[in-house]
Amino acid sequence: MSDAATGVRSLADRIAARMLDASVLERVVIALVATALALLIGAVIVAASGYDAVEFVSSLVYGAVGNVSNLAFMLRQSSMLILTGVAVAVAFRAGVFNIGVQGQFVVGGFAATLGILFAAPLLPNSPVSAIPLLALATLLALAAGGAYGALPGVMKAYAGANEVITTIMLNFIASGVVYFLLDAYLRPEGAAAPNTEQFPDYVGLPGLVFESPSFSILGLGVALLTVVVVYLVMDRTGFGYDLVTSGYQEPAAKYSGVDPKRMIVRTMTISGMIAGLAGALFAIMILGYYSDPNTFPTFGFDAIAVSLLAANNPLGVIPAGLLFGGLDAGGQYIGFTLDVPSELVDGVIGLIVLFVAAPELFRAAGQYTSLGGDRE
Amino acid sequence: MSTARALLDDRRTLLGVLGALVAVIALLLFVDLPGSDLVTVGALERALQAATPIALAAIGGLYAEKSGVFNIGLEGFMIFGALVGAAVAWLLAGGEGITQVHLWVAFVAVAVVSGVLATLFAVLLIRYEANQIVAGLAVWFIGLGFGPFAATVLWGGVSSPSLPNVDAVSVPVLAEIPVLGRLFFDASPLVLLTIVVAVAAWVVLFRTRYGYWVQAAGENPEALDTAGIDVNRVRYATVIFSGVMAGLGGAVLSIGIGSGFTGTGVTMVDGRGWIAIVAYLFGNYNPLGTYGASLLFGAMDMLQIQLQTIGISLPGSITGLFPYVAVLVVLVGVGYTRVPSAVGESYDTEE
Repeated sequence: MSDAATGVRSLADRIAARMLDASVLERVVIALVATALALLIGAVIVAASGYDAVEFVSSLVYGAVGNVSNLAFMLRQSSMLILTGVAVAVAFRAGVFNIGVQGQFVVGGFAATLGILFAAPLLPNSPVSAIPLLALATLLALAAGGAYGALPGVMKAYAGANEVITTIMLNFIASGVVYFLLDAYLRPEGAAAPNTEQFPDYVGLPGLVFESPSFSILGLGVALLTVVVVYLVMDRTGFGYDLVTSGYQEPAAKYSGVDPKRMIVRTMTISGMIAGLAGALFAIMILGYYSDPNTFPTFGFDAIAVSLLAANNPLGVIPAGLLFGGLDAGGQYIGFTLDVPSELVDGVIGLIVLFVAAPELFRAAGQYTSLGGDRE
Repeated sequence: MSTARALLDDRRTLLGVLGALVAVIALLLFVDLPGSDLVTVGALERALQAATPIALAAIGGLYAEKSGVFNIGLEGFMIFGALVGAAVAWLLAGGEGITQVHLWVAFVAVAVVSGVLATLFAVLLIRYEANQIVAGLAVWFIGLGFGPFAATVLWGGVSSPSLPNVDAVSVPVLAEIPVLGRLFFDASPLVLLTIVVAVAAWVVLFRTRYGYWVQAAGENPEALDTAGIDVNRVRYATVIFSGVMAGLGGAVLSIGIGSGFTGTGVTMVDGRGWIAIVAYLFGNYNPLGTYGASLLFGAMDMLQIQLQTIGISLPGSITGLFPYVAVLVVLVGVGYTRVPSAVGESYDTEE
């Protein structure tokens, strides 16, 4: 009897100690060490597979920031990862594991595409039409992504269905259904590939700083603006407070009058809306048409790594997104130039996630080497 | 919802449901009723094959979760298993002329490699108290990355060349039994072995001392500790077991019933590890119920062929989604079955 009570007490003590320990500095150190360790393992695997490890690392860096066009590509990937990363962070922060950002992203991009393709013929063929078209596409993407996020939210809140599994299933379903619709109804006559027709020329974001056909600094602007809005909502509003409290102190949130079920649905809706916005940006800025979602980059999955590396802090998503954008760009460059399969970088990202999931590993290592100072 | 749960909780009801299911299938097979065209011996054969990898991974995951550790990395372990199986068989034979012996040795190699990887994973989860959901996802990502990477290093592309698989074994006399003979005794031995494993898993879990330890580690770790059993040792054993089983499930896909490793997209495992998790939830942590649920998902996987034979032609992109939709229906309908109370909590002794 008293044993059980002390057990609970010591558990609470440990949780409290963990919270206090997890300072911002410590998280930054853990993130950096996890990344360095994962890259080191990646380099060892590269060497073991018979490639040149030094060239691997230097090409990785060159591919990310070596010249202006590489930099533009990296920032393009980073914009997508920051946006999808914030989508994940909102949900994880509230204690909801939304693994379905990829599916919400696919559905959002598809809704934006439908809006552009069906509304464009109704508007005059001039650049002025771009503004209502982009506005429509964005609204549709937010609505579709939000609804596709709300669905597993409702399943979790009202039927107890584990959101990790439902969102993964919904990812498969989104790609399958969108592919089917593209293939059956939106593929132009006689086209071999399951692509929609191109958007009108004037629909797109102007390149401005970089002369890249698939990256506009405005895209990065959209991502950063979203981060700031999410940060302000989470940090400065009552809703944000309730959301964060639900994440790590559900009883407290409940006590202060938060309905946990509605909170889950709302969180998933917001997360899905941001993912949908990312889908619109992908369709408009990067593709300029829509294609088989099974061939899309897995921004929605890499976003999980981005968010975890940032300790699910919206502001932290910016540096984490830049880092992963760099890894992604570098990895693709390596695939082209060194013949080192670019999947390697996906594996390295997985290792980073694994290490970030186990902060105790680094605390133990820190204590062992007494780098972490004397604790306990 | 609660009535569905109560029904599943009652083992006698479960057996009754299974018995009724078998009776309905038999009726459809032998009597010409509406729907009979969907149930043929060939369809059952395909469903049993498709259920095999899911059931193996699910039984492993069931043990881990029963002992208090949610191994969400099953999908990743399956990818490693599928790759290692194909790679070892191919390397042993020097690329050409892979024999049955090579394939069986490859299965052993898969068990060993999966066991080593699962041990590392278990250390992170149990000793270093890693977040079980995040670490499990990481295993999937690592598999998705290093699986196709290793395939490219070996074969120059993300998929292996076409490889042979395990031959069907025909048991004399037993193979003559109508229907059952063809399904179990003139079929891939892996199908029958998996059923044996499911029964053995049931016996061990519910009828042996070790099974009670596993259950206690998940329900009441303090009591188990008091009884002098090391909770974390039990958990290490189950997590390693779950990794080995998932790895073997993956190997069944690539060299057991399939024809080599496919690394495109989300690889040939294609969500089966996730489906396995739902299979043991649906089976209410009962290895036999879990096998039944795996069979249901396997049948869903094979429904496309059956629909075609009766003249309903849906595109593959839609019929391929049936298992995923079935998972959603199951999760929403049955809800999360009663999870062992200590799942996800690390256990520290009080000394």
